[in-house]
Amino acid sequence: MKDRLEQVIKKFASQCDYLEAHVEETEESRVTFSGPRLEDLGRKVDFGGNVRALHKGGWGFASFNSLDRIEEFAQNAIDQAKLVGAETSELAPVEPVRDDVLLDLKSDPREVPLEKKVEILKAYNERALGYDERIVSTSTRYFDRSRKFWFANSEGSLVYQERIDLGGAVTPIAAKDGDSQYFSVPFGSSDDFGVVLGLEGKIDEVSEISLGKLEAPKVKGGEYTVILDPRLGGTFIHEAFGHLSEGDNVYEDKNLQEVMKLGREFGRPILNVYDTGLDKGHRGYLVYDDEGVPTQKTYLIRDGALVGRLHSRETAGRMGEEPTGNARAIDYRFEPVCRMRNTVIENGASSFEEMLADIELGVYAISAQGGQTNGEMFTFTAANACMIRDGKLAEMVRDVTLTGNVFVTLENIDMIGNDQASHDGPGGCGKSGQFPLQTSHGAPHVRIQNVVIGGE
Amino acid sequence: MRKIIEKAMAKGASGCEVFYLNSLRTSVDFETGRLKGVSRTEEKGATLRLVKDGRTGLATTTKLDDTDRIVDDAIATSAFGEKAAFEFAGASELPDVCAASGEVREFEVDTAIKQTEAEIAQVLDYESEINIGGGTFVDLQEIRVATSEGFDATFKRTLYKHYLGGRLIEGTNMLDAGGYFGSTVVDTEPEKLVHDVLTQFKLGRTNVGTKTGPTTVLFTPSAVADVFMTLYLGVSGSIVDRGISPLEGKIGETVFDERVTIHDDGLLKNGYEAAPFDDEGAPMQTTAVVENGVLKNFLTDLRTAKKLDLPRTGNALRAKRLVLTKDLGKVPAPEVTNWVMAGGEKPHEELVAGIKDGVIVDSIMGVLMSNLTAGDFAGNVAYGLKIENGKTTGRVKDTMVSGNIYKLLKDNLLEISSDVELVGRLGFFGSHYFPYLLMKDVPIATKG
Repeated sequence: MKDRLEQVIKKFASQCDYLEAHVEETEESRVTFSGPRLEDLGRKVDFGGNVRALHKGGWGFASFNSLDRIEEFAQNAIDQAKLVGAETSELAPVEPVRDDVLLDLKSDPREVPLEKKVEILKAYNERALGYDERIVSTSTRYFDRSRKFWFANSEGSLVYQERIDLGGAVTPIAAKDGDSQYFSVPFGSSDDFGVVLGLEGKIDEVSEISLGKLEAPKVKGGEYTVILDPRLGGTFIHEAFGHLSEGDNVYEDKNLQEVMKLGREFGRPILNVYDTGLDKGHRGYLVYDDEGVPTQKTYLIRDGALVGRLHSRETAGRMGEEPTGNARAIDYRFEPVCRMRNTVIENGASSFEEMLADIELGVYAISAQGGQTNGEMFTFTAANACMIRDGKLAEMVRDVTLTGNVFVTLENIDMIGNDQASHDGPGGCGKSGQFPLQTSHGAPHVRIQNVVIGGE
Repeated sequence: MRKIIEKAMAKGASGCEVFYLNSLRTSVDFETGRLKGVSRTEEKGATLRLVKDGRTGLATTTKLDDTDRIVDDAIATSAFGEKAAFEFAGASELPDVCAASGEVREFEVDTAIKQTEAEIAQVLDYESEINIGGGTFVDLQEIRVATSEGFDATFKRTLYKHYLGGRLIEGTNMLDAGGYFGSTVVDTEPEKLVHDVLTQFKLGRTNVGTKTGPTTVLFTPSAVADVFMTLYLGVSGSIVDRGISPLEGKIGETVFDERVTIHDDGLLKNGYEAAPFDDEGAPMQTTAVVENGVLKNFLTDLRTAKKLDLPRTGNALRAKRLVLTKDLGKVPAPEVTNWVMAGGEKPHEELVAGIKDGVIVDSIMGVLMSNLTAGDFAGNVAYGLKIENGKTTGRVKDTMVSGNIYKLLKDNLLEISSDVELVGRLGFFGSHYFPYLLMKDVPIATKG
C-alpha cells in the first residue's frame, strides 16, 4: 500500500503545489439493545481512500472505494484545485515523517469473541430492565472499530497508523404516565476493552436516578450560580471555548482575529485550558493527525489569557503560528478540518465543599446529555441535577439546560476544583457535516456565576 | 447483488435482503467570501440482512469485490442475533415517484460557483464586514433493494442542497444568519435564500432585552422543524414499541388542538426523502399522522408494523439523520420522510401585527440534547426577535426557550399561519412544509 501511494504522489505531485493521498480500512462490530430486543448486531468492513490537492490556495478533494482507480481520482482532485486556486498556497512547514504507529493495547477488543460481547451487554441490559418495573426500556450499545491508515504526501511523509476506538453506554429509561426519563453509564477508550467490564454498580446507580427524575420537579428558569461536575465541565469547555479556538474559524476572518487575539483575557487567572492528543487511552488520543502532523499538548488559555489555538497546516501557515496536529476527518470520505482531541480545564485549588459553602440558591449540574455552540453562545444539557440551598445539596430537579455567552461566562468562573478527570463516552463531536468524531474532554468541578437555565 | 443473495442462501440463510447504494457527491464550498474547495466523493457499498436458523444477521461492506466476506460476516452475527420477527419485502406494486431531475444530474460546478458568487456579492453589498460562506452539494444516488422473497427494484435520485450563511461581528457581538434549500431539484425560488439571509441581518442587528416568564412566541417554520424533533420521535413505531411514546395507545384520540393536521408524505413532489420504496423495499406513501387534532397513524417499518399490528407505512430509512446522508451500516428504522403541516387562516405578517408583547423564535440551538422522547425541548434562541405592539424591535440574545410539545400543541396554540414554507433544515431529515405557529405562555428565561 505504501508503495502504491508513493507512486501516485510521485506521478502527480508536479501538477500542483501540494498533494496527499490517504487510504484506510476499518472493521467494525456493533451491539445495540433497545429494551429487551437486540436491535442491531452487525459487522462492517469499510475500505476507501482519498486524494487531496492544493494549488494556488485552492483545494481539490476526491474520495473513493475503488483503489484501482486512484489515479483517476488524483487527477480529479488536481483539476478541482486548479479550478479553485487563485491566490498562493500557504502551509505551515513541518518535518516530513516516515513512521509506523502500531497498536499498544491494554486489552484488545478484537480478541473478545462477538458472542462474549453480546453476553456482557445483554447482562447489563437485563440488569437495567430488571431494576424496577418502571424501567420500561433501555438503550444499551457498544461498538468497536479497528482502523488502519496509510498516508503519503508530496513532501516525503509516509505514515502508517493503527487505531482502536471503542465506546458505548447503558441507558435505563424510566416511564410513568406518558413521561419518560433516562440517565446513562457511558464508556469509551482507545486501548482498553476493560472499560466495558464491571459496570453493574453504576448501572444500578443510574437506574435509581432515572426513577428519581420521574418524580423530580422541573427546574425553574432563571439565572443561577451553578457548579458543574467534571463530566459536564468537560462538555462545557468543549462547547464554550474549544470550538471557538479552532483555527479555521479564525484564520480568514479579521474581525474574529481581533476578538481572538493572543493575550486577550477570557477568564480569571485561575483558568487554564488545554487540548491534547497525547493522553493515551482516551478516545481523543492521536499520534499523527490526518495531515501527518505529530500531535501535542496545546494550551489554549493560561492564567486566564488566550495563548493558543487548534490548527491545521493551512490555518497555522496563514496566521504565522505553529501547527498543532488538529486536522482531523471522521473517515476517508471527508477532508480534514480543525478539530479537538482531549480538551481539558486544568485543576484549580478549591474543594467541592468550599464551592458549595456560600451559595444561597444554585444548581449542581451533573453529567452531560450534550452541547452545542455557534461561536459566541453555547448551550449544554445536564443529565442530572439538584438544587443547592444555603450551602447544601438539596432536592433533585430535572430538565436543566444551561446557556451562556463565551465572553461573559468564562469570566464568571470564580472557583475551580482540584479533582480533574477526563471522560469518554460513545458520542462524538459534529462539525462541517462530519459527525461523530471521537473526542474526549475533562475538568475538575467548576463554579460559574450568573448562568441562564431554561424552564418555566 | 443477486450473487450475494445466492451465496447467502447457499450458506443456509432462509431469507435475505440486500441494500445497495451508489452515490456520487460533488460539493462546492465558499468560505469568507471566496471559493475554498471543490470535492467529489464516490461511495459504493452494500448491506446484507439475513435470517439463518430463525435469527437475524447483518453485515456491511464497501469492498464489493469481496462478496464472501459480507456473507460470512452476516452469517456469523446471525448465530447470536435477535429472533427474526418479520419477513423481508416481497414483490409489490410501487408508486410512480420521480426522484431524479435532469437539471441536477447535469449540474455544473461552474454554474454553482457563479450562483454563489452572485449571492455573496449581494450580501457584501449590504455590509462588507460580513464573513459570508455558502455552497452547493449534489448527490447522484442509485439505490437498489433486493430480497430472497422476490422484491428487486432500483431507483435513481438526485439530491440538491444549496446554502448561504454568514456572521457579522461587531465588538464581541456575533450575529449569524443563514438559509438552506434541500430538494431533488435545483432551487425553485433562487432569490429567496439571499432575501432571507439579508432580512435576518437587517432585523437582528440591534440587541434588545426580553424578560423571564411565560411569553407569547411565534415559531417560524424553521423553528417548528426544531421543536418537532419531539413529535417525530413520538410517532415512530420503534419508540411506541419500546413503550416510551407519550402517544402510545392514543390512535383515534384527540391529542392536539383541532386545527393541527400533519401528513408524512413519502411521495411529496421534489421531496428530499420521496421515493418509490423505502430502504427495505416497502412502497412509500402519504400517511396522515394527525388530522384535525386526532392522532391517525404511527410511522412503521416492516418489523414494527407486524409487532404492533399496524398498517405498514413505508418509513424504513437507513438515515444518518444529522448529516442528511444514507448510513449504509444502519439498521432500517421508522423515520420521518417529508412532513407537511396544514396552514391556518391568517398570513404570518398579520399574526406578528397582532402581538402586543412577544418574541419570534427562528432557530433554537441545542434542541437535540433535550429529553425529546418525553416531548420536552429546551435551547438557546440562536436567532430570535422581540415584538412590541406588532413590530419587531431587535434581536433577543442570551435567552432560552423551552416547552413540551404535547402540552403546547394542545393548550397553547393561538394561531397557525396560512403561509406554509419549505424547510430543509439540518437535524430534521427531508423537505418539510411548515406554517408559523403562534403560542401563548411559552417558557422563556433570560439574563437579568
